[in-house]
Amino acid sequence: MNTDSTPVIHTSDLVKNFGRTSALAGLDLSVLQGEVHGFLGPNGAGKSTTLRILLGLMRPTSGTARVFGIDPWSEPVRAHRDVAYVPGDVTLWPNLTGGEVIDLLAGLRGGADENLRRELIDEFDFEPRKKARTYSKGNRQKAALIAAFSRPARLYLLDEPSSGLDPVMDAVFRRHVRRVTSDGATVLLSSHILSEVEKLCDRVTIIRSGVAVESGTLAELRHLTRTRFRVTSAVKPEVLSTWRGIHDLSIDGATIEFDADAADLGYVLNALATAGITAITAAPPSLEELFMRHYGLQAAGQASHKSQQSQKSQVL
Amino acid sequence: MRAVLRLALLQARRDRGTLAAWILGIAGLGYAAGSAVTTQFAEDNERAALISVAAASPAFLFLRGLPDGISSGAVTFFQGYSFTAVLAGLMSAFLVIRHTRADEDQGRSELVGSTQVTRVTSLYATLLLGTCANVVLAVAVAAGFIGADLPVSGSLLAGTAVGAVGLFFMAAAALVAQVMPSARSANGTAAALVGGAYLIRGAGDALGTADSSLLHVTAAWPSVFSPIGWAQRIRPFTETDPLPLLVIGAGTVVVAVVAVALRSGRDLGASYIAADDSGAERAGAGLASMLGLAWRLQRGSLASWCFTTAALGAVAGGLGPVVGDALEGNPSVAELMSRIVPGDVGLIDLFTTAMLGIAGVLAAAAGIEAVLRLRAEEAEGRAELLLAMPASRFRWLGSTLAVAVFTTTAAAVAAGASAAVVLASGQSGASSPGTVFAGALAHIPAALIFPALTLLVFALAPRWSSAVGWGALAAALFLGQFGELLGLPVWLQDLSPFRHSSAMPVEAFNPEGAVLMAAIAIAVAAAAIRLIRERDVMV
Repeated sequence: MNTDSTPVIHTSDLVKNFGRTSALAGLDLSVLQGEVHGFLGPNGAGKSTTLRILLGLMRPTSGTARVFGIDPWSEPVRAHRDVAYVPGDVTLWPNLTGGEVIDLLAGLRGGADENLRRELIDEFDFEPRKKARTYSKGNRQKAALIAAFSRPARLYLLDEPSSGLDPVMDAVFRRHVRRVTSDGATVLLSSHILSEVEKLCDRVTIIRSGVAVESGTLAELRHLTRTRFRVTSAVKPEVLSTWRGIHDLSIDGATIEFDADAADLGYVLNALATAGITAITAAPPSLEELFMRHYGLQAAGQASHKSQQSQKSQVL
Repeated sequence: MRAVLRLALLQARRDRGTLAAWILGIAGLGYAAGSAVTTQFAEDNERAALISVAAASPAFLFLRGLPDGISSGAVTFFQGYSFTAVLAGLMSAFLVIRHTRADEDQGRSELVGSTQVTRVTSLYATLLLGTCANVVLAVAVAAGFIGADLPVSGSLLAGTAVGAVGLFFMAAAALVAQVMPSARSANGTAAALVGGAYLIRGAGDALGTADSSLLHVTAAWPSVFSPIGWAQRIRPFTETDPLPLLVIGAGTVVVAVVAVALRSGRDLGASYIAADDSGAERAGAGLASMLGLAWRLQRGSLASWCFTTAALGAVAGGLGPVVGDALEGNPSVAELMSRIVPGDVGLIDLFTTAMLGIAGVLAAAAGIEAVLRLRAEEAEGRAELLLAMPASRFRWLGSTLAVAVFTTTAAAVAAGASAAVVLASGQSGASSPGTVFAGALAHIPAALIFPALTLLVFALAPRWSSAVGWGALAAALFLGQFGELLGLPVWLQDLSPFRHSSAMPVEAFNPEGAVLMAAIAIAVAAAAIRLIRERDVMV
């Protein structure tokens, strides 16, 4: 039914206001069939609100949202038929066991694939006989993930799905995302962790203050994935400035900080080795830092102010 | 100490609306009881007649308390004390559980406990808040009585009696919170303790001995085991006796100290009765649907509601004939009774009718409680998970509504069936068990309006669903208990749905009222189901 030309998810100029605060301010998002689409943004940028609109749980103030070409607000049941969802903050029924919750959620979608269910419980090292009230955040998340992955869907909406998982479980999670996409499913994965998105996603949309500020393949967004270096070295500043792929250089005595393009990492490391260093840390820049750098301090300040407001409106 | 004060202020801030509603409601009830006596029973001989009926009737003693002379104050205390004391106990119990076990369930205690406080600081703060709330309650109840033209000193003591009961159950709930594994079970246990204290007092009073004037009754031994019975012995408007206050005070302190010691000795989140933390690995076939889930979530409280109404029904069926025996052949009594329920009625029927009316109110309460589960599901984020499934909001709401209707119906059926069975097993010349059973069922249409209304408020303004649902029931209960006594305008009394259901077996069955109430309930529920599509899911 859907070809590559008709997106699985399409929103255009999506606006959502909660009272006087604005959660989405004209969001355009397009997710193509078969891709893992990263939905990246700081806390409160509007990621969860977007997913809730895509699920028909909230009505957009203006603009359109389509899932499989269906308006989820007016026809939620039809739009949900092939959708699996894992919310960012999973709460379960305290008196039901994890196994019962999985059966309930999968059952509402038509029933779990028994082999998949067994496999997932095993791989996620999940204890299905415990009552949900005893579960930690990670275990609640596992229950929702197992329910979502235990029955094939055409679209997976995952809201910061691995935020409570340890690295081993995170690897299991990534394996299952790859499994469903190799079967042709589409995944929209919201996150505020750039490295997580890098590992999984084909394309990325970056959202800030309710609007999409960047969208494209990872290669197209490569300029966002510079590595942050902090070295202690006696290398001369005038030498440093001749190096390739160096950005945002700052020097404080012997402590030197700069960003390096991914393509030039080998060159920079060689140059550093040649120059001689006594200490080095290298880290991918956090998303917040990227925003600070790419959109200016003032804009980022507004973003975090706004995000606090929209979070507040969600709590109230 | 500063930490205790700060936490108490925080808890008070969270509770300000709830506590204000409880205190004003209880004091308002006291005022209504007082003015009903001072305006409608202004003459000594009227009050004497009322009291002599009551003193001779175990059922009256059971429900209301001990007659203690014919002064306005004493008659008001007899009429209104037990109910206000029960409400004070519930207010205090829920207050304590809200800030102890419920906070632990929700993880808030962990956050507070990580600051510079000890394990028991938060409990001290809750006890401080509860004490303040009960002092304010005592003053408010006294003000209500004084406002109804009752003597000042007696009113103050009566308020103190009510506040003392509240304080005791505050301490008792603090103990329950240490023992029970969840807020839900702790609330249920604490409420059951309050209800048990009322029933034990009722048994003691019903078995009490009247003096020769038939105007005073002294309680029998069971009442010693009830804090509500103890506070009643203060006798605020006659021969006041402060000793019972000391007994309750000492009991409160002992229980509170034990609660603090238990809190001090346990881990965060642990309980002295362990929760059953494991269960079935697979869901039964019934659970994998909205209806199955709604049933699973409600079945436990459904059983509790049915147990409660069945107990009430047993009292209705068992005590009715006893009342009749006690009052037969006393014309002044019949005259008086007819002022409370007009018409030519048998005395047994009158008692049975009153009890079935209370069962109807409980059935409505059961329905409200069932519908309010939706609010918890939405506020705690589980609705988001459910409604992301290919299942419509109609099915979500409809499943819970179906379970709520079933809960209300089952509660009424349990009351009627148990009354009929107990009645059939005794010998009496009253109405047939079948009529009594039908009398319980006759309240179902009116009772269903309350869950339907709660559902409508949930669809429109979910935050208000609990307040409006319970508030509407409280208003209907008040109109039913005091509307006639206070001579309120008929249109106002007619706002209570229960006015339109047939008070069987006293009245004949009136199909028009039942059909009208059922039609209203259906229309309101249909509107709710239509309107739920229009709003955002709250997250």
